[in-house]
Amino acid sequence: MAEKVIVENLVKKYGENTVLNSINTSIADGEVVCIIGPSGSGKSTFLRCLNRLEEPTSGSILIDGFDLTNKKTDINLVRQNIGMVFQHFNLFPHLSVLENITLAPTDLNKIDRAEAQKKAMDLLTMVGLVEKKDAYPESLSGGQKQRVAIARALAMNPDIMLFDEPTSALDPEMVGDVLNVMKKLAKDGMTMVIVTHEMGFAKEVADRVIFTDGGNFIEEGTPQAIFENPQNERTKSFLDKVLNI
Amino acid sequence: MKNKSIYLALLGALIVFTTAFVGGSQAEAADKKYTIGTDLTFAPFEFKDSSNKTVGIDIDLLNAIAKDQNFDVDIKSIGFDSAIQQVQAGQIDGMIAGMTITDERKKSFDFSDPYFDSGIVMAISGENKEIKEYKDLKGKTVGAKVGTESATFIEKNKEKYGYNVKLLDTADTMYDMLYSGNLDAIFDDYPVIGYAITQGKDLKMVTDYERGGQYGFAVKKGTNPELIKKFNAGLKKLKANGTYDKILAKYIKSETTTKNTTETSIKPVKDEYVIGTDITFAPFEFSATNGEYQGIDIELLNAIAKNQGFTVKIQPIGFDTAVQQVQANQIDGMIAGMTITDERKKSFDFSSPYFDSGIVMAVAKKNKEISTYKDLKGKTVGAKVGTESADFIQKNKDKYGYKVKLVDTTDTMYQMIASGNMDAIFDDYPVIGYAVKQGQPLKMVTEKEKGGSYGFAVKKGTNPELIAMFNQGLKELKANGDYDKILNKYIDSAKKKDTAATVDESTFGGLLKNNYPSLLSGLGKTLSLTFISFAIAVVIGVLFGLMNVSNIKLLRFIATVYIDIIRGIPLLVLAMFIFIGIPNLAGFKINEMTAGIITLSLNAGAYIAEIVRGGIKAVPVGQTEAARSLGLSYGKTMQKIILPQAFKIMIPSFINQFVISLKDTTILSAIGLVELLQSGKIIIARNLQSFKVYLIISIIYIVVITTLTKLSGVIERRISKNG
Repeated sequence: MAEKVIVENLVKKYGENTVLNSINTSIADGEVVCIIGPSGSGKSTFLRCLNRLEEPTSGSILIDGFDLTNKKTDINLVRQNIGMVFQHFNLFPHLSVLENITLAPTDLNKIDRAEAQKKAMDLLTMVGLVEKKDAYPESLSGGQKQRVAIARALAMNPDIMLFDEPTSALDPEMVGDVLNVMKKLAKDGMTMVIVTHEMGFAKEVADRVIFTDGGNFIEEGTPQAIFENPQNERTKSFLDKVLNI
Repeated sequence: MKNKSIYLALLGALIVFTTAFVGGSQAEAADKKYTIGTDLTFAPFEFKDSSNKTVGIDIDLLNAIAKDQNFDVDIKSIGFDSAIQQVQAGQIDGMIAGMTITDERKKSFDFSDPYFDSGIVMAISGENKEIKEYKDLKGKTVGAKVGTESATFIEKNKEKYGYNVKLLDTADTMYDMLYSGNLDAIFDDYPVIGYAITQGKDLKMVTDYERGGQYGFAVKKGTNPELIKKFNAGLKKLKANGTYDKILAKYIKSETTTKNTTETSIKPVKDEYVIGTDITFAPFEFSATNGEYQGIDIELLNAIAKNQGFTVKIQPIGFDTAVQQVQANQIDGMIAGMTITDERKKSFDFSSPYFDSGIVMAVAKKNKEISTYKDLKGKTVGAKVGTESADFIQKNKDKYGYKVKLVDTTDTMYQMIASGNMDAIFDDYPVIGYAVKQGQPLKMVTEKEKGGSYGFAVKKGTNPELIAMFNQGLKELKANGDYDKILNKYIDSAKKKDTAATVDESTFGGLLKNNYPSLLSGLGKTLSLTFISFAIAVVIGVLFGLMNVSNIKLLRFIATVYIDIIRGIPLLVLAMFIFIGIPNLAGFKINEMTAGIITLSLNAGAYIAEIVRGGIKAVPVGQTEAARSLGLSYGKTMQKIILPQAFKIMIPSFINQFVISLKDTTILSAIGLVELLQSGKIIIARNLQSFKVYLIISIIYIVVITTLTKLSGVIERRISKNG
């Protein structure tokens, strides 16, 4: 499997506070990686570094051969291949569902309007929201919003999808719809990096699970290895707390 | 001003004290022989005659005064500069040397009363046929003596007429260079030139002389006060008994003849002269019911222009504005019932007086208490700020024991006397007379105080031909009786002409009927000012607002500086700076509409920039992140995602700012822009119905602003719905 993402010695500091402490990892093409860990452990920051929404303090990130830490890299071009889904959806409230999805493809001159709309309808079919195409975000439920946000990210035909706690802000009965869409994507071979608290989902879908704490990758391995036979004490205590509620 | 005079007085006292203390011997100077210094080369005031004896006007005058006042003088010809130094060093007691009385010199000298009114004039060689006016000096070389009024004058006008300046030490060199062709023209004090011509110098004067300073006899500041007193007393006596004229005639025989021949050849230099006038000074200038300007000043100036063959454009912009615009070279002159004062003479050249004014007291018609100044005890007396009347009532406050109240406008004064807030008012007597005829319930119970004379004014040192033409025209109008006709029209028969209008304009219906065209045109100005400048301000504001949220430090810095500067300057000051300051600095004129639009645009732009910044900051950061993560650039993100949302947030603030801008237009009335408020003020200046007119104007503002606010509310809701 080809390496899609290579991270070397990634450090992120906010002033004196070190959030990521020399991270080294790589992610293969088509791999689904779930990152778990307590709040403030740096998992979201790591994810946001992967499309440079956060500026790394030092280290290097190579994605498809583009060096993200090089100032000369056209970050807008790289981002077009990396979809991102946010905890709070961040849909554009002044645009309809369809416009939310077609804005980037048409505006970046990738495809013409008709084609973009056709593609958007396909994506809405996939997420099960065709009938909402002309609605505005404020009239959608949280789960519907997040599915639109996924469709919006997919509209650019990305190679990699980043999910930043996509279900954390949802009512429990909405979570399933969103996870189902993500499972579908995983099955279709999308490279995915998911920051999540949904352990069941991680167990079922992930190729690899990474446990972070205090800015370090403490332990990583197959879901079986991490969930059934954790080696590190901190992993154990974390899993004890989240799994035995 | 007050501080300055206190300071000068203190300084003077200090000098008196120190000189009395250090040079105590000078205190007994009364019975000694005075040593007086004079110049060597300043004919006809002082020069050596063929027998090497010093003679001249100064010498003869001083000797005659000494004889009359019974003191001895020893006159030393030591040159102007060394006389100054020796007076200051206490070496000699005084000097008489054709010395112009200036404020600068008053700091170190005490002067006598002026004994001669001077002025400077241009002279050219007798054969020269090229040069007829200042304009012909282009590319020529013009000379004057170092350190003289003439030198200052030619330096000042160098750029204007495009000549080269050459400053020389003595009059002889100057004449020699003129004959040799090294100089094309020279400037000197006109008696000097006049004398040179009578002495057979081959010179001629082709232009009228520039009014200049007055000569005085001088002693060191704080010394020999008795000498100054004697000089003044002697001078008065010599003038009274004719000796003074005899001395002058002996040396300057041809003064008047030269003057007359030059005066007939005045020609206008400009195609059109723009003259400023007041808007509120009936009967001198006011807007008639048909919106046209009329009044004594207006008719007089037009008649003179016609008589002298030049063209004038009269702009009613208000007295203060006119003063500023004349000084800023925005306009060529002003005629606005302007009293000729020494203070003003420092910045203006005045024509001969065209009207002798004076001030008079007026009380309410039904007032039976007050019939003399003495009855004013304990009462409140009003006048307009900065006027002769104000000075007069301040001066006599203690004498008659009344309270002083100064107000800004005539109509406020009438309102206050009607409401009983004032018991008596003082104003220029033609103004009061006109008001009485306009039906104001006022009466005059005392004689008028003799006051100043009104003059037509230009900025000092500019447009000399205009003053000359005015004087000549005035003389001819007085001679042919037109002057009296104009005066009578306004001061005697104003009653007949305007009673109809007065009656009519005392009701709202009449007011509106007579004035709706000018109110509408004022409203139009107000609205177009607001819309144009607000449109520009939105562009400026969005630009600077975006700069203010930019990631680039320099752009943020520029935006902050702009916003801080504009927000730190009061709008009125900004308007003055743009209208008066910029033309002064840059040398080009800006009309008041342009200046108004620039002012309002810059002002509202700064506030809109802050609104834009606030609006952008109010859009959640997740919106930017989502857009950027899709690969949209910063610019696209702003344009497609942030601004559309920010704009919706900003609409209420925009509407608010628009209303503020509309109200701010009233401030521009200060630079003479005839918007709605100024239109109203002009109407009030004529009919004095201030309450009714301001009420009408207020209602217009309320209606317009409320309508616009409601309209924008509808638009706002529509936009929100679509969002």
